[in-house]
Amino acid sequence: MTALPVIAAALAAIFITTILIGTGGKPLTVFTFFAQTKAVFLRNKGALAALFASVFLVAAFLFAFYGASGAGIGPEQPIPFSHRVHAGVKAIPCEFCHSYVRRSTHPGIPPVEKCFYCHNDIIPRYPWIQKEREYFDTKTPTPWKKVFYLPEHVLFNHERHLKMEVQCRECHGAIETMDRISRKRFKMGFCITCHQEKKANLGCWLACHN
Amino acid sequence: MDRRTFLKIAAMGSLSFASGCSSQPDKTLFSLVQAPDDMVTGRGTWFASTCRECPAGCGIVAKNREGRAIKLEGNPLHPINRGRLCMRGQAALQGVYNPDRLSKPLIRENGRLTPISYEKALSIIQDKGSDAAKKGQGRVAVFTEMVGPTLLSLFKALLAQWHSETPTLFEPFAYESLKLANSQVFGIDGLASYRMEQADLLVSFGADFLETWLSPVEYARRFQQMRAFGSGGKGVYLHVGPYAGLTAANADRFMVCRCGGEAFVAFGLIREVLEKISDSSVSGDLVEPLKRILDPFDREEVLKLSGIRQSHYDLLIERVLSARRPLILGTQGAGAGENTPATDVASCLLNALLDPDLTLIDFSNRHTVERTAKRSDVLNRFKSVTDGKVDLLLLNNIDPVFSVPYNAGFRKTLGQDSPFVVCFSSFMSETAALSDLIVPIAHPLESWDAYEGKTGVWSILQPVMGNLVGTYTLGDLLVRLAFKGETAQQGYRGYLANDLIRRGMIKDERDWIKTVQQGGAFDGLSSEGGLSSKVQPSWSWAGTLSSAIDPGASGTIFAAVPSIRLFDGRGANKPWLNEAPEPMTQVAWQTPVLMDSHTAAKNNIRQGDVLKIASTWGELEAPVYLSEFLHPDLLVMAVGQGHTAYGRYAKGFGTNAAGIFPPDTHPVCGGPLYRVAPISLTPTGKWLKPANTDGSRVQHHRKIALTVPLKALYEHQEKGHPGLGMWDFPLTLPLPEGYDPQRDFYPPHDHDGYRWAMVIDLDRCIGCGACAVACYAENNIGVVGEKRILQGREMAWLRIERYLDEADPTRVIFLPMLCQHCDNAPCESVCPVYASHHSREGLNNQIYNRCIGTRFCSQMCPYKVRRFNWFDWEWPAPLNFQLNPDVTVRSKGVTEKCSFCIQRIKAAHGKAKDEGRMIQDGEVIPACAQTCPTDAFVFGNLMDKTSRIRKLMADPRAYQVMGYLNTKPAVIYLKKVIRDV
Repeated sequence: MTALPVIAAALAAIFITTILIGTGGKPLTVFTFFAQTKAVFLRNKGALAALFASVFLVAAFLFAFYGASGAGIGPEQPIPFSHRVHAGVKAIPCEFCHSYVRRSTHPGIPPVEKCFYCHNDIIPRYPWIQKEREYFDTKTPTPWKKVFYLPEHVLFNHERHLKMEVQCRECHGAIETMDRISRKRFKMGFCITCHQEKKANLGCWLACHN
Repeated sequence: MDRRTFLKIAAMGSLSFASGCSSQPDKTLFSLVQAPDDMVTGRGTWFASTCRECPAGCGIVAKNREGRAIKLEGNPLHPINRGRLCMRGQAALQGVYNPDRLSKPLIRENGRLTPISYEKALSIIQDKGSDAAKKGQGRVAVFTEMVGPTLLSLFKALLAQWHSETPTLFEPFAYESLKLANSQVFGIDGLASYRMEQADLLVSFGADFLETWLSPVEYARRFQQMRAFGSGGKGVYLHVGPYAGLTAANADRFMVCRCGGEAFVAFGLIREVLEKISDSSVSGDLVEPLKRILDPFDREEVLKLSGIRQSHYDLLIERVLSARRPLILGTQGAGAGENTPATDVASCLLNALLDPDLTLIDFSNRHTVERTAKRSDVLNRFKSVTDGKVDLLLLNNIDPVFSVPYNAGFRKTLGQDSPFVVCFSSFMSETAALSDLIVPIAHPLESWDAYEGKTGVWSILQPVMGNLVGTYTLGDLLVRLAFKGETAQQGYRGYLANDLIRRGMIKDERDWIKTVQQGGAFDGLSSEGGLSSKVQPSWSWAGTLSSAIDPGASGTIFAAVPSIRLFDGRGANKPWLNEAPEPMTQVAWQTPVLMDSHTAAKNNIRQGDVLKIASTWGELEAPVYLSEFLHPDLLVMAVGQGHTAYGRYAKGFGTNAAGIFPPDTHPVCGGPLYRVAPISLTPTGKWLKPANTDGSRVQHHRKIALTVPLKALYEHQEKGHPGLGMWDFPLTLPLPEGYDPQRDFYPPHDHDGYRWAMVIDLDRCIGCGACAVACYAENNIGVVGEKRILQGREMAWLRIERYLDEADPTRVIFLPMLCQHCDNAPCESVCPVYASHHSREGLNNQIYNRCIGTRFCSQMCPYKVRRFNWFDWEWPAPLNFQLNPDVTVRSKGVTEKCSFCIQRIKAAHGKAKDEGRMIQDGEVIPACAQTCPTDAFVFGNLMDKTSRIRKLMADPRAYQVMGYLNTKPAVIYLKKVIRDV
C-alpha cells in the first residue's frame, strides 16, 4: 500500500499543473474571473478531455499494477501450487522438495515425479494434480515461473548459508504463509548488511561475484 | 499547446511509465521429470571417456553440469596422458556444440539435399548393400577414420554379409615411412613407442613429437622428464631439419639443413659411429656392409649434400658419440620429402648401433595408429572404386576430398553418380558435400565405444552428456545394419560390453562398471622389457638407404606440415583453435606461408605479400610470413585451413596446401608427398595484414623472458647489492615482508591466511598453447574472429608470448603471460570506480558490474593482460551450452582479465570450511595448470611457508617479469636453462 501516497501525489500534481497552465500562472483567477475561466475551459474542451482521459488511464494503470487484489503476491504458476498448504499447514520441510540446498549452490526444484510421492494417494483426481500428472506422463518439465532473481554476475551459494545456520525465511520471507510466493528484490545492500552483522566474508569475488 | 506544456506533459508521462515498468519479465524455471541419482544441480559430475581428436587416444574426464558437458580435462588415471590434454583435446567440446552440426540424414535427390529419417536412411543403405552383394564379390567398400577394435570388427561383420573385403583405415598422417623403417630394420611392421625420459641425448630428424607426431601429450611429458631442469633428467635435445616448428624451437640446438638433407646427416653419423664402435657388441656382419654402403658419405660429402652448418655437424657427432643413452627419432613423415624413408631407416640403424639392446624403444606398447593403411594402399583401394568395381561406398568421418591432393581422384569420383556414396559425418565437410547420402552421427563424447590408443591400453568412451541434436551413434547404426533380433535391439552398448568380455578385457557386468568409471582397462601396459627386437639380417633396408637422392638439385621447395592447432584440418571448425595463435608465428585465423627472411629480402618480398605458388599439379595463393627458422630454399605452410565447406568457422579462412601436391605416393614407403618442387612464385600485388597477436619478436632489452646458462646455475653466485635498476632490482614477494618504505608509496596489504601466487617454469614450458585454450573453456572468454584480431582486440586471458633470446637470437623462448596479480597493481590505483580491487587473499579482482569502461587500467598495466569487451561476443547456439555457469559472461563495455580461476578457489574454500581446515597445498589447480602437459605451472599459497611455490621461489632462477617497476607480481617465473651445446 506504499503506492497510494504516490498515486495521490501524482494526481495532485496533475491537477495543480492543469490549473497553472489553464490560468497562465495565476491560479486565483479561476475564482475571480469565473466566467472567463469557464469560457477558456469551453474553448479547450477537446484538449481537456484528452488530458483527463490520460490522467484516468494512468491512474487506472497504477491501480491495476499496485493496488488491485492479486498485485504483488508473486507470479502466477502453471500449477497453482500453494506453499502455505505444503510448508505451512502440512509442515513439509523445505528440504524435502528443494533437496540440493545443503549440498549445492542451487537449492534445486523438485522433479515432477516427486509430486506423486504423495499425490498418488492424496487428491489424485483434483484437476490441477491431473494436469501435473499429464506433465509426468508426457515427460514434460513443469514450466515454473522464477520468483527470486539475482543479477547474473552474482553467485549465491545456498549450501554455505545453510551451513552457517541462516534460515530460509531470513531471505525468502515467511514462505509458509504465502499461497503464491511474493517476489523480493534482492539488492546488494541487503547482502552487505547481513554480512557485516555476521562478520562474514566481504571480499567482492571471494564472497559473491564471479 | 506551447513548448513548455508539451515538456511538462511528456515528463509526467515518462515518470508514470517508468514507475510502472520496473519489474522483470518472468523467466521460466524448468524442473526435471525424474531426477538422476548422480546429478545435483549446481554441482559438476565427472564422466571418464576418451579423446578422439587425433589417433593418440588420451583419456579424458568431462565435467557435466545440469546435463551439459562444460569442460574437458585429462584423466589422471590414464597411462597415455596422465591427466593432461593438448589444445585440440580441450577444444573437443566445440565439436559437440558446433552450431553447424547436422541433425538429420540428407539424401541427394535431383541434385538437392533433402532431409529424411534415420529409418529411411538405414533401409536405403541396407537395400544398396544387398543389391551390391547380389552383383558379386567386393562390391561394397568402406573407408573409415582410425576406430577402436570393436567398431572395426562390426564393420568387418557388416562387409562380410555384403561379400566384401575388410574396411580401409584412412588417416592423412599414417607414418608410412616410419613403419617401413621399423619393419625393415627391426622386423616389426608398426610404430614403437619411445622411452624418451630415460635418454640423455635426443636427436630428432624432423619428428614433431611436441605437436602432432604419434602422441604429443605423452611425448611432451616424457620430453620434459628427460630434459627439464630439476626433473632429474639432464638430457639434451638436438633437432636436425629444414624448418623449426614448435618442437624444433624447443631444441637445445636447432640445426638447419636442406629439405631432404637430414638423410645424409644421418648417414654421416652412422659412418662416424661405426668408426668409433668397431669393437663393440654390434655384430660384424652389420658393420662391414654398412661401411661399404655409407662409404661415400664422408664429412665433406655430408656437408655438401645436406647443407648443414659445419659447426653444427661437428657438435652433433661429438654429442652422439659421447652420449650414454642416446635416442634418435626419425622424420615427421609426409612433409619431409623423397628422403623420408632413408632418414627413418638410418635413424633406426643409429639406435641399433648406439644401443644394441634397444632399451629406449618399446616394441610392446605400440601406437595403434600403425593399423591405418598406407596412403598407396588407400589410393589403390580407391582406384577400384574409380574403376566402377564398387556399387556402395561408405565413408566414416574422413575428409579425403580436403586432405588428399586434388588430382588423386576422390573429388572426381565422389562427384559422379556411381557408386552410391554414404558419408557418416556430423558436419558438411567437403567430402560430405559430394556424397549421395549424409548420415550424421553422434559425437564421440555422446557415444559408447572403446578405443585402443596404444596396444594394451583400452580406453572406454561413454556418453558424457545426453544426445544433443538427436543423432544416432555409428555403433548403433552398424549394429542395426549388421544384425537382427536380440543383438540389434540391445544396441551398440550391449554389443561393446559383450565384445570386451569376449576379448577378455573385462570379466562381467560389475567389472564393466568399474572399467567405465576409471576410463578403461590399462592392465595390458607393460612398464619395462616386453617384446624386444634386433636388427634384421634380411638387409631389405639397404635398398631404402640407397634410395636417398641429392636434395640440392630441386631448387625452391614447398612443403606442408601438420598443424598443432588444426591437425589435418579436422579442427578447423572449432573457433577456439582458430582463435588461438599458431605458437611460432603467433598468427590466428590465417594460414601464412613461411619464408626465410633473407630470401624474401633478396626477392623484395615483404611480410604479408600474397604470393601465387604454382606447381605442375596446381596453384595456391597465400600471404608470406617471414621467419629466421627455415632453410633458404624452403617454403612451409601448415595444413588445416582453406576449407570450402565444413561450417562457418572453417569455410573461407586460410589456404589448403593439398591442391599443389603430386597425387602419387612415395615409391619406397607408399606415403603421401606433402612436398613439391619445382615451384614458381609470383607476387600477386595483393597484401594481407597478418592477424598476429604478438607485438614484437624481440624483447627490446627489457626484463621479460630470461635465460640462464646451465653452468652458471652450478657456480657459486655473488649476490650483488640490490638496487633500483632493471637488472639489480631484487625479487620482491607480494607479501607484507616485501614492503619497503623507501620504495613503496602505498602501505602493505593485509592478507587473511592466503596469498595466492603462481610459479611458471620457462624451462618446462614448450609453448604448446594448451593452457590458453583451457582458459577459454573454463572462463567463457569470447572469440572475436579474424577482423577483430587484426584490430588487436583478442580476449585471451592467458597468452603464450614468443620471444627470441636476447643473448642468442637463434633460440626461442615461450612465456605464458597472464594477470600477475601484483601487490602494487598499477591498475588498481587508477580505476575511478574501484572496479579493479585487491582482495584479502591477494587476488586482483575485476568487478564487472562496477566497471564503466574507462580502460585506464589496461593503459596502466605493464603486462597488457587486461582485455576490454568492445562488443557482446556471440556464442551461436548451441555453443552457449558450453558456457561455465560458475563464471559470469561479460557484456560489452567492461574490462576483464585472469582471475586465477577464482571459482576453483571458492570451491576449495567451501570444501575446506566443511571439513574445518585450511586449504591444502595443491588443492586449488587453475585450468591452465591442470592441462599443462609438462607441469610448467605451480599454483599455491604464499603465506604457507611449506608450500611448493614458496620452495620454488628460493630457486636461483626465480625472477619477476619487469619486476623493476616495483609492481611486485605474484607470478614468479623461473628462467629457461640454456644447455651449453
